[in-house]
Amino acid sequence: MFDRRFLEHFDWWLFLAVLLLMAIGFVNLNSGSAATGYPFQWKQLQWYIAGIVLMLSLVLFFDYRLLTIYSVHIYLIMVFMLILVVFIGKTVGGSQRWLSLGFMNIQPSELAKIATVIILSSYFYHDDRPQYGLTDLWRPFLLMLVPIFLIYHQPDLGTALFLVLIFASLVYMARLQWTSFLLLLGTAIAAFPVVWEFLKPYQRGRIMDFISPGRDPLGAGYHISQSKIAIGSGQILGKGYMKGSQAHLNFLPEVHTDFAFSIWAEEWGWVGAVILLGIFFLMLYRGFLIASQSKERFGAFLAFGVTAMLFWQVVINIGMVMGLMPVVGIPLPLVSYGGSSVFTTLIGVGLLLNVGSRRFMFQKGPRPR
Amino acid sequence: MKFKVKTIWRVKRFDQLDQEANKWRCDVAILIMFLCIVTFCARLWHLQIVQGEHFREQSERNRIRSVRLQPPRGKILDRTGRLLAGVKPCFNVCLVREDVGDMEALLAKLSPLLGETEAEIRTHLGSEHKGPKYAPIVIKRGADWETLSRIESRLFSLPGVFIEVTPARKYPYGSIAPHLLGYLGEISREDIVKKRYTGARSGDMVGKCGVEERFENDLAGIKGQRRLEVDAGGRLIRVIDEKPPVPGKDLYLSIDLDLQQASEEAMKEYVGALVAMDPQTGRILALVSSPAFDPEAFATGINNEEWKALNDPVSRPLQNKTLQARYAPASTFKIVMAAAALQEGIVTKNTSFKCTSQFRLGRSFFRCWDWRGHGQTNLYKAMVESCDIYFYQVGLMLGIEKIEKYANAFGLGSKTGIDLPNESRGFIATPDWKLGRYQEPWQEGETLITAIGQGFTLVTPLQMACLTSAVANGGTLYCPVYLEKMTGPDGHIVKSFESIPKDKLPISKSNLRIIRKALVGAVNDKKATGKQCKMPDILVAGKTGTAQVVGQAKRRQDQKLDWKYRDHAWFVAYAPAEKPELAVAVLCEHTGHGGSVAAPVARKVFETWFQIQSPLPVLRPHKTAFNVNNIDDHV
Repeated sequence: MFDRRFLEHFDWWLFLAVLLLMAIGFVNLNSGSAATGYPFQWKQLQWYIAGIVLMLSLVLFFDYRLLTIYSVHIYLIMVFMLILVVFIGKTVGGSQRWLSLGFMNIQPSELAKIATVIILSSYFYHDDRPQYGLTDLWRPFLLMLVPIFLIYHQPDLGTALFLVLIFASLVYMARLQWTSFLLLLGTAIAAFPVVWEFLKPYQRGRIMDFISPGRDPLGAGYHISQSKIAIGSGQILGKGYMKGSQAHLNFLPEVHTDFAFSIWAEEWGWVGAVILLGIFFLMLYRGFLIASQSKERFGAFLAFGVTAMLFWQVVINIGMVMGLMPVVGIPLPLVSYGGSSVFTTLIGVGLLLNVGSRRFMFQKGPRPR
Repeated sequence: MKFKVKTIWRVKRFDQLDQEANKWRCDVAILIMFLCIVTFCARLWHLQIVQGEHFREQSERNRIRSVRLQPPRGKILDRTGRLLAGVKPCFNVCLVREDVGDMEALLAKLSPLLGETEAEIRTHLGSEHKGPKYAPIVIKRGADWETLSRIESRLFSLPGVFIEVTPARKYPYGSIAPHLLGYLGEISREDIVKKRYTGARSGDMVGKCGVEERFENDLAGIKGQRRLEVDAGGRLIRVIDEKPPVPGKDLYLSIDLDLQQASEEAMKEYVGALVAMDPQTGRILALVSSPAFDPEAFATGINNEEWKALNDPVSRPLQNKTLQARYAPASTFKIVMAAAALQEGIVTKNTSFKCTSQFRLGRSFFRCWDWRGHGQTNLYKAMVESCDIYFYQVGLMLGIEKIEKYANAFGLGSKTGIDLPNESRGFIATPDWKLGRYQEPWQEGETLITAIGQGFTLVTPLQMACLTSAVANGGTLYCPVYLEKMTGPDGHIVKSFESIPKDKLPISKSNLRIIRKALVGAVNDKKATGKQCKMPDILVAGKTGTAQVVGQAKRRQDQKLDWKYRDHAWFVAYAPAEKPELAVAVLCEHTGHGGSVAAPVARKVFETWFQIQSPLPVLRPHKTAFNVNNIDDHV
């Protein structure tokens, strides 16, 4: 029943990268907790343990191919949860994002990321074409539009745009016609002034700050300039663990979530930051490798989608704290505090390991059609 | 379903072409990802190594400090606007560990200045050692002027030390009703984690019990913020912006300062509780739990010994005995019994039983408190002389279910609903409860002792005050209120607190009149148990109680008994009997008879109250000659 090849194909490197990220996340949150006075790290440890259990059981007892059928159910559950948020969601800091389960608050928009990857992979698996034109894409686009609208409504512009990025990544994987690509690009540029009108003043402020960071050092650009000072002042070896003055003196906002990387870079310096980037590289590299080695379309799409999801989170978060991107509230996978984010990431990694481990099952036999 | 599961195991495989295209796309993605990571590393190199020195300098220099501006805490005043708890500045000596440098040398210098040994100062530091180095630590709270001036003049040679001003409570009349007012203490770790108070941070002082805790959010006000730009040495360069604090709201209590002071004075030598209430509105005029504690002691921090004294298991100074301690109601419960018996039609005011000082039930004997017996006794006499035999008879005829029903109707066994945390509900036993608790059926003997307020029954002094008020005002049970109004800093009324009628006693007017008449007798008759509360020009109505703490066998002469085995003394009363203005419930723990100890305390309270009401020696319009039959027409 249990195939030995299963273990042979299990991606230990990916697993190791995840464990290292958790260790770093915990150590880093320990410092962030001391800075803010709230004991975040122990809660996070609980999420880690629960997430690992969930991830491993996903690998062992679940065949990802079942998702070709159940993706529709997952999608509907996700939409249902997002609608629930509209009605009974908990409001924190001006936006209504959380569902209270009593023992924890879940953030359905986080879980929507992984659900989106699954439904789109499943769609492109069933709708198998050598190339896609714009007319072939309106159906998956409509699928996406529902959660994007609901999340934008919360309001959470960052996550809404994030879903668009996932969509774009999977369309890239599905091969888009050149003409369609150019058309889309043109439309996007043309649409920008219209979108600008729809943005809230603080969102415009963030984009303006990105374009000219020195515009208002105490206003909306304050966080980024403080974050850059935090990272820069770490120098080569950092200020030492628990000694980051920017974080501990409360110059840095949100040290436990969005700005977790800044406190890490401040306390561990260039060496620590590069090591962290290296671990992320390892994780993403193994993810893309699983996608490229997959023997069938669904697995390839699923693995690629999950890896792209992680990739965009890393790029947006780290790019933001270093001042390379506008301020968008996207957490750094496994390093930022947050149960929903940890679960989403670990479910994603669980699917990756799943695809990788079950590769051998396609080695024999004719192609059925 | 089975069919579906079978087919998905055979998903479409890639053909050669697709496989290659797939690999190519993934390779491009890996390349892009690699470039991104390299870009990040380069950017980090630029930020941390090329510009590192510049940013390091900025992080040292860049000190936009945010200073919280403490709003003045709201005042607590009595019903006439006299200040019970105000605000004064409190000077704390603080220390920032990061700026100290040589800690040993600093402690050596500080020790003589503060008048504390180095080890003592270290204990303040040690308790918060885990916090960040940049956070100030309070090493001396509420320093006096002498210490302050010594430190202030040497501040330049004490790196890292500074003096912080926070608002603290001042009590112009000394400690008044500390159990009601509560005190200020440092916010607990738990409250911070649970975010109980918005904007509170570790080291803040918050209300710890009573009014201070209950109205913390109103009294505290809203903290302001001032952002300052300072240099590396902490010197101010400029003020960036400021959000002023919003002062807290003032609270007017229904407490009367004079009455409260007199009540506290009267209760001084006893352990116990006293509640004085306006029977017509349910407003509390005085609330005493004795012994008191000093609320100011908590502000400067208390040592181990003081803490032990405050938690003394015998006198329990921190407990608010008026609403948290439970006692057997003893003979004061006879008010409930008499009302129940009359209302149920078991007795009329003329029904009499013979008291031979002994009552036999089955094979056991139940005694009256007076060994001589009371002879033929009717309701009036039974109340006046507090005859136990009469109420044994009544209890037996009523049965425990009826007793329980009426006790509940008088507000016993449930919270009075006063707006303070941790109120006790007291206890009224039922046969079902006993069966569940002891697996034994209810005994008739237990009905007997319940009828005279002993046994399982437990009440709080506040409940008895409400009960007395209800009898006095003609049958309305009020929810006790200790607040008059809340005003904003400019004096406009934010909220006023109305009196809250809770329930009607299920007793007819005429029956209540009989009881009131008996209560007047219980203070004013020749053989009355409560005659020590009799006043020359005002008609007082009341009922004594003597709650046994141990069984008859151990009780001999009270004076010879160990203190903790002595009886509790009860006295509940109201005056003037014709038109009640004040109702009082007094309980003195382990002092003996209610008539000899609690009644004089109540008398002092009444004397003070009527002195306040008409300070000049004029005849009160309704002064009565001693004739209890008059009162019917007035009530």
